[in-house]
Amino acid sequence: MIRSNKKFLLLVLIPIFAETLIFLIIPILGTMGISFMDYNPLGHTNSFAGWDNYRKLLEDENFIIALRNTLVFTIFAVAINIVISLSAATMISQLRSNKTRSFFRMMFFMPCMAPMVASAVVWGRSILNTKVGLINEVVRDMGGTGVAWTGDPDYVMISVIIFTLWADLGYNIILFSAGIDGIPGEVYEAAAIDGAGPVRKFFSVTLPLLGRTTTFVVLMTLISYFQMFAQFSVLLYKDGPQNSGLVLTSYIYKTAFVNKDMGYAAAISVILFLMILIVSLVQRKLGKVEWEY
Amino acid sequence: MKRKILSVLIALTMVATLCFTMTACGDKESSGGDGDKTLTVWIHNDEDSWTKSYESIADNYMKENEGVKINFESFPYDEYETKIQTALMSDEGGADVYELWGGWGVDFAPSGALAQVPEDMEKEIRDEAYECTYGALENDGKLYGIPLEFNIECGGLVVNKNILNEAGVSVPKTWDELVDAAQKLTRTEGKEMTVKGFDFVNWDGVMYLFTSMILSQGGQYLNDDGTFNFTSKEAKTAFKELADLVQVKKVTNMAGLDDGSDIEGYQELYAGQAAMVPRGPWVIAEGINDFELEYGKDFSYEKMPFYSDKKAFAAETGWSMGVSSSISEEQQELAFDFLNYFFSDDVIMSHNLACGQIPAKKKVAQSEDYVKEFPYAKPLVGILDGAQFIGFFNTDVFKENVNDVFSAYISGKYSSVDAALKKLEKKCNKMTEKK
Repeated sequence: MIRSNKKFLLLVLIPIFAETLIFLIIPILGTMGISFMDYNPLGHTNSFAGWDNYRKLLEDENFIIALRNTLVFTIFAVAINIVISLSAATMISQLRSNKTRSFFRMMFFMPCMAPMVASAVVWGRSILNTKVGLINEVVRDMGGTGVAWTGDPDYVMISVIIFTLWADLGYNIILFSAGIDGIPGEVYEAAAIDGAGPVRKFFSVTLPLLGRTTTFVVLMTLISYFQMFAQFSVLLYKDGPQNSGLVLTSYIYKTAFVNKDMGYAAAISVILFLMILIVSLVQRKLGKVEWEY
Repeated sequence: MKRKILSVLIALTMVATLCFTMTACGDKESSGGDGDKTLTVWIHNDEDSWTKSYESIADNYMKENEGVKINFESFPYDEYETKIQTALMSDEGGADVYELWGGWGVDFAPSGALAQVPEDMEKEIRDEAYECTYGALENDGKLYGIPLEFNIECGGLVVNKNILNEAGVSVPKTWDELVDAAQKLTRTEGKEMTVKGFDFVNWDGVMYLFTSMILSQGGQYLNDDGTFNFTSKEAKTAFKELADLVQVKKVTNMAGLDDGSDIEGYQELYAGQAAMVPRGPWVIAEGINDFELEYGKDFSYEKMPFYSDKKAFAAETGWSMGVSSSISEEQQELAFDFLNYFFSDDVIMSHNLACGQIPAKKKVAQSEDYVKEFPYAKPLVGILDGAQFIGFFNTDVFKENVNDVFSAYISGKYSSVDAALKKLEKKCNKMTEKK
């Protein structure tokens, strides 16, 4: 009986293994292979380039700019996202009425339902636009001078982070809410008996018991933000002034499809892949918990 | 036993589904029915008039060639290049004939993905077309596409006549008059520029004007070995003049590159926010159709004064047609026969007129019939001989380099014009250096 169950499991897992192999593992290995070639996808002869593409990375100022922008965006956006979404989820969980809790979760989740590209178009044309954007209209009405939110190198990253948070907070709020709802009420009751107030309860009960959820949320947000592309591509005109909005994903696209240097684009992709892999491994190691409730 | 059979059935169904999904992504059925010869042509579909012109030319060709069927498949411009690349990467699927932006030719021509143009046709193109219209389609002295148009972004000036009339300023005939008029026409309210006198700051504009100003003084931006030279006296003078227009004379600002929107200077001109904008004649249709302005009354298209004595400018290869090298010889023969028909004087002129293009063929561009039908081309046809092929490199990256350095110079990131131009030269030479 157990043996036939195992066979069944193996059989049903074959498609997903096949899909992972064909659409994930082979492309990753292929990308690694291409990164060692002077590869023009249209060319019939593509020569072996050794480590040339990787050496080139060290001298390429656009790669350095893209790397710096990616790290700045990811670190700040993820940190702010976690703080806001955890705070919002905690506050929502304090509400007594189920309907009110659902209402707020739905409100925060609504932007996540719209495609990122569509939201970015609306924000770019109607909210962040220098001439007719909502924000600058308000600033001008208050006697100030409009700012080129997506055109001034000093504001580009701030604008993209604000938009990303608006568009993406809902997911993490839902995940944190589910985590908080899973913490047994008895633990809070015991804390209350010991005289703990709301702040103490949050730091001594909620936060530690949300360890697994937090690890998962941080990891998934990090991976997702390292790979963000749509808002940079849509909100900014040609990667922003002086490449102030150039991130690794857009640089990969540009190198591969505008500059047609697929080998070099593959090398940048491998670096991005390794960055995400290392961050994920470290995060998993740090977030390991040995308890359950 | 029942459970075992059920398990096997479920697993088989899932495997079958996966196989079906994978095979559905396979190559498409090759074109052509029994007895009929079919050509598949890929075009971009952002302009209805262009698509209609292609279809009408194909209809006429099919009438003259019984048994030939031409199918058009069209895609939005934004995804068109990626689509073509993907198709050309695969030896199967895709099209027989591709409409190509000339700038892509630099990558496509040496790749072997496009078929070489037959010798007699190549001779005709070299004899009859302006050199810059096919420069990017060449590789090792051979040609890999036919030019459809003369892409020109320098030499023509869109003028908002209402703004000029209100200010009592006439259309400038010399560079000095242009600068003077631009200063008179510029309007500011507080810190905001409400009317730009002469708005050359856009993705194409800075590069085209800069290179034209160098050539107009008798200089060159390319050395004989193909490397860039931006440290010449002419380059420094041109760069300084452009920077002064923004910083000192303040006839425009950097919004065209820096404000993050994709609204162009000529669109601002149509909206009454710019007085003069250097652009190609393709922008005229938008003024008439989308902004509902009257040509001649609200705006006009004029000769743009050159910076110095020579009427010289750089031009990149524009829209062209290429044939896939992966199709059979018989299919290639048919494809080139269609392109040969397309390149005949009457046909290419009808296409250029329908698309608002300047012809690649000298005879057509200089013909009275063409100028009569497309009077907007009048300021341009006289200067086409002064064009120089921009160079065999990726023009998108070239524009990006020029714009980045210009933008950084204006924002004070370089201590001098010399420092900015040395940086530009280094960036551009890096762009073309062989790995």
